[in-house]
Amino acid sequence: MVKKEKSAQNTAAAAEPVAVGATPINDLRACLEEIKAYKGVIGYILRNSASAVIDLKDSTKLIDYAVLSSSALDASEEFSKLFNLGKVKNIVVEGKDVKKLSMTIDENRISVFMEKNADCEKILRRLRALERN
Amino acid sequence: MELKNVDNELYSFALKSALSEVRNVCPGIKTSFMFKKDGEIIAGDEGTPEKVVARVVDAFDSVLEKADAIGGVECMTLECSKGRANVSCMDDLYLVTVTSKKADVNHVNIVTRVLIPTVLKLLEKIHPAPLKSNLPTSETEPEIPAVKEAEKPAEVSAEEPITEELKEPLEPEPSLPEPPVNQLIVEDLRGLLVPSDTVRIDGETLSEWEGLYDGRKIEEVEVETFDGNVTQCEVKPIKDWKYEGKGIIRIPEKIQLTLEIKKGELVRVKPIVE
Repeated sequence: MVKKEKSAQNTAAAAEPVAVGATPINDLRACLEEIKAYKGVIGYILRNSASAVIDLKDSTKLIDYAVLSSSALDASEEFSKLFNLGKVKNIVVEGKDVKKLSMTIDENRISVFMEKNADCEKILRRLRALERN
Repeated sequence: MELKNVDNELYSFALKSALSEVRNVCPGIKTSFMFKKDGEIIAGDEGTPEKVVARVVDAFDSVLEKADAIGGVECMTLECSKGRANVSCMDDLYLVTVTSKKADVNHVNIVTRVLIPTVLKLLEKIHPAPLKSNLPTSETEPEIPAVKEAEKPAEVSAEEPITEELKEPLEPEPSLPEPPVNQLIVEDLRGLLVPSDTVRIDGETLSEWEGLYDGRKIEEVEVETFDGNVTQCEVKPIKDWKYEGKGIIRIPEKIQLTLEIKKGELVRVKPIVE
């Protein structure tokens, strides 16, 4: 897992989103590319068991963001289990500087990072529309 | 110390009452409780077992540890098919609310974000101390005379012959008990932020050892394999509840390689007391 992130970091330095492994996730990628253009969006991480696509404006924070995404999604599963909340739809973590929206669509773990004033609901609506399709 | 306990009880009671009122106003709230940044639970409802609360705190802590990149955690909201969970930072405290699917989220947010901070402000005005006193004083106090005792002979030694004066503080050392040896099962310790020279064992075991040595902090242990390989390394308590109370020692890959051991094997572990 770490190796995958590291390799992604190396290639992300070239300011291009990088796909690792096979990518049956083109729709998601296209959607995330669209979301990336929204006001205040800093970047995204898209991962599944076979591939990872990472596109962040500040590549120095790539590993920190990837670790946080993974922890938040794991914590959300734990919360859901403990309080019998059912399937996790999404999780939003707000920091002092940045907020992060994470969700799982099929087997794909998605995290979108944005500035605090960015419209999180708009992003959520866009991703859910994709989920319904 | 007693006064502090009374104050803490008052705080806890006031916050518990506030949470209870919030639940009365917002029937959609299934669970709510508050904990400090260090994980100590301040107030909660009776319906939530302590074990569940501890696991929530543990899960949230894992996020908190990695949230420096976004400037810490001010709020975390989890939306699920059967309800929502929210963790909000209020001063030095975190408030957890779990609501049902039908709950009016805006109403819950408005009530909790107004009522709880108001109660906290009031408590802060009445008794500013308890919630800010996170450091246990009982641990630091005994160290002061120990240091002073060590300093006194040194001062004298500047004026008088050294040899005999220095022998005195060394005398109590032979009375230290033999270090206990525990047999523990090796478990992997991996992660990006894991120091390669530190193993983790049960906090309870560490406390027992510290109890044997008059509360001296155990910071290092000696790990010995059954093949006779030995190494000394730093030690910290296990954080992950999944490994607690199972007789496990979590060892980073580097130390495992040094000792030529792997997950599932038994090792002997004893504290190093200087």
